[in-house]
Amino acid sequence: MKSNTQQTPKFGPLEKAFRFIGVNRIHIHILLILVSGVTLAPYLWALSTSLKYRVNVFTETPQWIPNPVNLGNYKEVFRMAPFGLYLVNTIVVVVGILAIQILTMSTAAYAFSRLRFRGSEGLFFLFIVQMMLPVHATIVPNYLIVNKLGLLDSRLALMVPFWATGYGTFLLRQSFRQVPRDFEDAAMIDGCSGLRFLYSILLPMAKPTLVAFSLISIVTHWNDFFWPLVVTDSPAVRTLTMGLAMFVQQESGADWTLLMAATIFVTAPLMVLFLIYQRKFIESFMSAGIKG
Amino acid sequence: MKRKSILSMALLLVVLFSAFPVNAQLVRLTYYYPVGVAGPLARVMNEYVEEFNALHPNIEVVPVYSGDYDPTMQKVQTAVRGGNPPDVFIVEISELPTLLAMNAIEPLDEFVTDEFLSDFFPAFLENGYSDGHIWGIPFQRSTPVFYWNKAHFEEAGLDPEKPPTTWDELREYAEKLTVRDPQTGEVIRWGVTISGGWNDWLFQCFVRQNGSKLIDYQERTAVFNSPEAVEALEFWVDLTQNLKVAPPHSTWASTPPDFVAGRTSMLYHSTGVLTFIMDSAQFDFGVGFLPGKVSYGAEVGGGNLFIGKGIPQERKEAAWKFIEFLTTPEMAARWSRDSGYVATRKSAYEVPEMVEYTNENPEYLVARDQLQYAAGKMMSPAFQRVREILKTALDEATAGRTTPKAALDQAQTQINRLLGQWLQQ
Amino acid sequence: MSSSRLNLTKIRPYLYLVPSLALLSVFTYFPILYSTYLSFFRQNVFTLEPVFDWFANYAAVFEEPVFKIVVRNTVVYALGTIPITMFLALLMAILLNEQLGWIRDIYRVACFYPTMIPMAAAGMLAVWLFNPGIGLINHYLKMFGVPTIEWLYDMKWALPAIMLTAIWKNFGYFMLIYLAGLQNIPGELYESASIEGCGFWSRLRYITLPLLGPTTVFVVIQGIITSFQVFDLVYVMTQGGPADRTNVFVYYIYQNAFRFWDFGQASALTVMFVIVLLILVFILTRFMERRVHYEV
Repeated sequence: MKSNTQQTPKFGPLEKAFRFIGVNRIHIHILLILVSGVTLAPYLWALSTSLKYRVNVFTETPQWIPNPVNLGNYKEVFRMAPFGLYLVNTIVVVVGILAIQILTMSTAAYAFSRLRFRGSEGLFFLFIVQMMLPVHATIVPNYLIVNKLGLLDSRLALMVPFWATGYGTFLLRQSFRQVPRDFEDAAMIDGCSGLRFLYSILLPMAKPTLVAFSLISIVTHWNDFFWPLVVTDSPAVRTLTMGLAMFVQQESGADWTLLMAATIFVTAPLMVLFLIYQRKFIESFMSAGIKG
Repeated sequence: MKRKSILSMALLLVVLFSAFPVNAQLVRLTYYYPVGVAGPLARVMNEYVEEFNALHPNIEVVPVYSGDYDPTMQKVQTAVRGGNPPDVFIVEISELPTLLAMNAIEPLDEFVTDEFLSDFFPAFLENGYSDGHIWGIPFQRSTPVFYWNKAHFEEAGLDPEKPPTTWDELREYAEKLTVRDPQTGEVIRWGVTISGGWNDWLFQCFVRQNGSKLIDYQERTAVFNSPEAVEALEFWVDLTQNLKVAPPHSTWASTPPDFVAGRTSMLYHSTGVLTFIMDSAQFDFGVGFLPGKVSYGAEVGGGNLFIGKGIPQERKEAAWKFIEFLTTPEMAARWSRDSGYVATRKSAYEVPEMVEYTNENPEYLVARDQLQYAAGKMMSPAFQRVREILKTALDEATAGRTTPKAALDQAQTQINRLLGQWLQQ
Repeated sequence: MSSSRLNLTKIRPYLYLVPSLALLSVFTYFPILYSTYLSFFRQNVFTLEPVFDWFANYAAVFEEPVFKIVVRNTVVYALGTIPITMFLALLMAILLNEQLGWIRDIYRVACFYPTMIPMAAAGMLAVWLFNPGIGLINHYLKMFGVPTIEWLYDMKWALPAIMLTAIWKNFGYFMLIYLAGLQNIPGELYESASIEGCGFWSRLRYITLPLLGPTTVFVVIQGIITSFQVFDLVYVMTQGGPADRTNVFVYYIYQNAFRFWDFGQASALTVMFVIVLLILVFILTRFMERRVHYEV
């Protein structure tokens, strides 16, 4: 197990390995700074644009620092649509989806990874089929169902179709498979089997995967557009992307300053969430490590 | 939804018990509207609806923002398949044949009067008719116009107040305005940009200018490889390939920024971007008619109002009241000022606020004045497929991969096969 | 063990699957059956009522000259994006699993955040960044002496521009999966390996990569499905143009269903799409899972 109390900061498990091929920290930092610079540039550019006046947006040479700074775009964005309400709805929807997903996928992944039963392979394929079906092929039939259930124009309509996740089941199955068999045998002897084994041992050990899945699930449904557009009508149940879409237009392109301000606003909560969650990775590493 | 219905039930009870002289019959209408151009249009639309609801205590219009034109169409289609079409909605005008095929709309003949219709600009009305009935009422309407950068004109020794008025002048000016890197010969500034993405729309304008048209919806003809059309495409190829004074392809969203940043001196685009350009450009620019050939010419665009199929008569009547409200001369003038769209009725331009507004911003009058040369937008059954075929032909030709004649011949073959059934009838 | 107990053990695995299967039946299998059913009917702008017509829709798919281009674009897109995305994701995951100080948080955010940007905004932003004249990308390329590339204005470069955007937007997502996979590898394996004096490559070869096996299987399959499913970027950035050079399979399905109002053909395309993906994924899992160690 790796200890955290080392005096000199160490690279980590691959410390010597990197030295072996003549790579040192500086090289790695340079590479990472380059990659981060390239990937971050669009966001910084969006941020910069969101703080500009319209006349300063399209210039022949890029102007990174807005001069003069204009905070009015953010004000205008909030006047256009009830973004506060949309934010609440979005949070309710993504949390509502994720909570049930974890329930359905953990039992399914447990069955697929630890139990032997007839037709498991075929059934597993039935699960992955969900990932293959193009969204637009599901919109009309799912609308018909949601309509039959009387759920149109409700938050529930935004959640129900996503409660089962072939994707999550697949991901979790792969991670359960990394847990050695001995664990299960030992647990069995202690009388811990089935669901108890799943919830007290398997799931905690797969925490990094769960964290990753949660992030991905939240991000996906946070940004979903077509399904919410089709099944909801009233602002009381609509989500952030509905507000964001108001700034992109087919006839005139986009309202750039406002679109960028809205983008920054819509992604900000996710950014914060990610900053907190990615630290959780390290914690979960420690706890998983202790058991290993 | 549930809470709302409980709430409205409660309200209803309150109303019943308090022995109001009510018509308990509150007619509720769902109204889908897209936002097609930049601006706080969703808010504006909500204001209009509130005013209407205040004026009509027994009608409640529920405005539903439905995304852009394409997502709106998707929402309408899905709702129609699910058996609850919206009562009133706005979609892009050339969707009419598709709406008819979907059995999604009601004819409006029983509501319109000649007097009502006569005030609309005829070009705007064209896309509302099919099979001798009227189905759509013009609302948010636009047309392509010509933008030019006056500063660039001065630099190139051209009169900044005189835009090109013919194709020949356009070609000549474009050559003068194009700036190339002296070393590499790379184009730094295009003379003219005929925006891509909806280039099929712009191409139809060129064909009109050349005295022809591609599809006649009422007559059920489709001729894509007429000499006039071929000549128009040859002109495009001349600009993009031979003279290299125009980019061969582009996207609809990125050419207005090109113009604003001075990357192109002249631009073909919708009236819908006029407000954007006014707000963003730091130089003097002009707005003019599209240069002509045989004559000036343009095709209209934008969205019409429709009433959903099969709704009860009382809702239909309420829906019509709402449409009437949105299209009064005063409202047409107000919507034009709020959005930058062309007002759909002649008398809208006599409304005092509009007179004042157009005096201050005469640019907004160009599109109206061009309407006398404009016609309805091309449409046909399976129009979106027709459109894709045409766009492919245009793109292949301007890329220099095939000749204009060959490209349009091939498009004609495909369209004959696609529309054969409709053309023969 | 009594016989009733035995029966319970037998059906227990299935019970675990019931919640998911019930939901999937409604929201996945019903749509598939619905599409399959519709694919046998002609329903388009010329037919108000659907008409049963065997495989006419399937035949019609192959008659469209665009279809060949669509398939080619989709394959090019998949072959171009998957390896680069996977390589970048794995590289970044391995590096960002190291202790690099506080700045690691920033690196991780930098890699992952593009996933969080909504499609409409990312697509519009990309349209602007790839603008040949005033976009940032050409501006900086020019500094390195690269001649102007017309990107979305050019038939050859439009698809690569979308691919680059997709790589930017997606690699962080796969990096996250790899990071999670790396976290599942017990740290002491590396410790003992370094005691035995294993070098970087041998460690990568004998510990990291094999133990990432299940993760890699997942990433490859997910990568294939994601790249075949590309829709949003095309929808926002190019609508398939110029001259269909960026028209991809799912966008084509969307066009057929909602733009062309040809539900029969859209359904036939959907069925073909799912079948092709199923076969592809089936072969791949068979092939890869056999080469992967599960039992640690």
